[in-house]
Amino acid sequence: MALIGLIFFGLMFIGAPIAFAIGISGFTFFLTSDVMPVSIGVQKIATVSQSFPLLAVPFFVLAGHLMNASDITDRLFNFSKVAVSWMAGGLAQVSIILSTLMGGVSGSAVADAAMQARIIGPQMIGQGYSKGYTSAVIALSSLITATIPPSIGLILYGYVGQVSIGRLFLAGIIPGLLMMVVLMVAAYFVAKKRNYVVEDAVKPTAKSLGVAAWDAKWALLFPALLIVSIRGGLFTPSEVGAFAVVYSIVIGTLFHRALTWEKIKTAFGQAVSDIGLIMLIILMSGMIGFAIIFMQVPQDIAHLLLDNLSDPRVIVAVILLSLFVAGLFFESTILVLLLTPIFVPVIESAGFDPVHFGILMMTIVTLGSMTPPVGVAMFTVCSLLDTPIEEYVKESLPFLVAIIGLIAFLLFVPELVLWLPNLAFDR
Amino acid sequence: MSGLFAKIEFAVGVILLATITFLVFIAALMRHFGHPLIWSVDMAQLLFIWLCFVGATRALRERGHLGVDFLVRLFSYKNRLRIETALAALFIVFLMTLAKVGVDLTLLNIERLFGDSGISYAFVTSAVPVGCVFLSLAIIANTVEAWRSAKSTQRLIFARTANDGDTSRSEL
Repeated sequence: MALIGLIFFGLMFIGAPIAFAIGISGFTFFLTSDVMPVSIGVQKIATVSQSFPLLAVPFFVLAGHLMNASDITDRLFNFSKVAVSWMAGGLAQVSIILSTLMGGVSGSAVADAAMQARIIGPQMIGQGYSKGYTSAVIALSSLITATIPPSIGLILYGYVGQVSIGRLFLAGIIPGLLMMVVLMVAAYFVAKKRNYVVEDAVKPTAKSLGVAAWDAKWALLFPALLIVSIRGGLFTPSEVGAFAVVYSIVIGTLFHRALTWEKIKTAFGQAVSDIGLIMLIILMSGMIGFAIIFMQVPQDIAHLLLDNLSDPRVIVAVILLSLFVAGLFFESTILVLLLTPIFVPVIESAGFDPVHFGILMMTIVTLGSMTPPVGVAMFTVCSLLDTPIEEYVKESLPFLVAIIGLIAFLLFVPELVLWLPNLAFDR
Repeated sequence: MSGLFAKIEFAVGVILLATITFLVFIAALMRHFGHPLIWSVDMAQLLFIWLCFVGATRALRERGHLGVDFLVRLFSYKNRLRIETALAALFIVFLMTLAKVGVDLTLLNIERLFGDSGISYAFVTSAVPVGCVFLSLAIIANTVEAWRSAKSTQRLIFARTANDGDTSRSEL
């Protein structure tokens, strides 16, 4: 175990791609084991690809690229602008609403942050918002995108922890909407204080709002269709993913007339690379995942936690705190793949709901990509907008406080997370 | 040469992705209307591992695989290139070992059938050795490219540098 850990961290720190760090350290287990032949290691890599729930990953990645190429982003941006740009911190509010709406069609926080840094970022800076505030709003609001279904992170958590992905999807809706509210409130207060107000603010009329909504109807309709089709297990999330691909092609070509043959090719090409890089990590983690279970790591951690703590919420709070620290240094995909098999059995034996835990865990680990020292979303936004990291950190504090407050609140009020999935799956 | 290779890789990846999507889409529709097609999902599952490796090779060629760089960022280009070259050698040894074990495993699996499809499970396991060989070739190609550019554009083997451009950047 110590050797595996040493190899993993050693490779990570000298900049090895995650997939290889995970693969080589996992393979070390089979090389050094007296009982496990190396062929089982290779077998584990192949077995991972035979999971039907994991097929949701390529589909939602592809659907996300296709929808981006289908003019859906621009229409949602326009709708958000009409709806909330009159408020204090107008464009910041637009960014938060847009992240929420994009959450319903896309599953990746980093993709959302990058898109908004290109579309909204320059406009905000042009209107006098500070670079730090602009980048903080754009990066942190992308957390909403990762929480609202479809979410690649929740698919991975569901696959590794053997938790229903349909339930996880539905469980993400209310926390995602609450996140939107707390971030809007935080953006509002900071904007008021800084006097980031719009002078010629016009509140939208019912008509202008209606027109903008009608223009974006296919994008707005998609999350509703998604929920209806996974309700009660009518379709599995993987099947819905395949529908999403077909839906975005039909909308993009027939209704929006924005999706050309060239754009479809580009979207497929980007999707193939994205799928390759994420799936290689997942395939390679098949070996180390097996090693973790075989060496009974979850049992050891469960003993450690359960012997010293009794309240399940305290146990989960301790786990979340350690995830937050780990999230500062590691990318969310690795944390989900490596730590879900350890923590899910622990929290289950403590009597905590794995769907509830999944939402909390995913929010915390995804938050790690918005904080220094290692944060993919943070780096993407800050480099696109040329924002110094110190300024970003200072300005992101109010939003960080709002989100951590919300996570603590969700920890103690499980109904907010579990009400929808229980309603939809009759339990 | 590598241009042609990239084109074939792109075409194969796109065809695999489109086929898998179509197979699952049709299977879901048919199941909904009471005519389940078991082989369709089996087939999609079978092709999935091939898509993963084709995509992984493409991502490697685009230098898209994520790593943690907060330590190595402090090093000079020359030292980073040396570290990455050492890593490249290690990875090739690792991949070749996987490939060797994978071939043995595939030979063992020829008899085993995949689901009800009548297709050999070896079709799945053989993706591992084939994928490992392609990944190794991509690593070698990137290494040659990086060392050739050491005096000019200063590219690396795995990590993207400013000179790699932003055009093909993957944003997952």
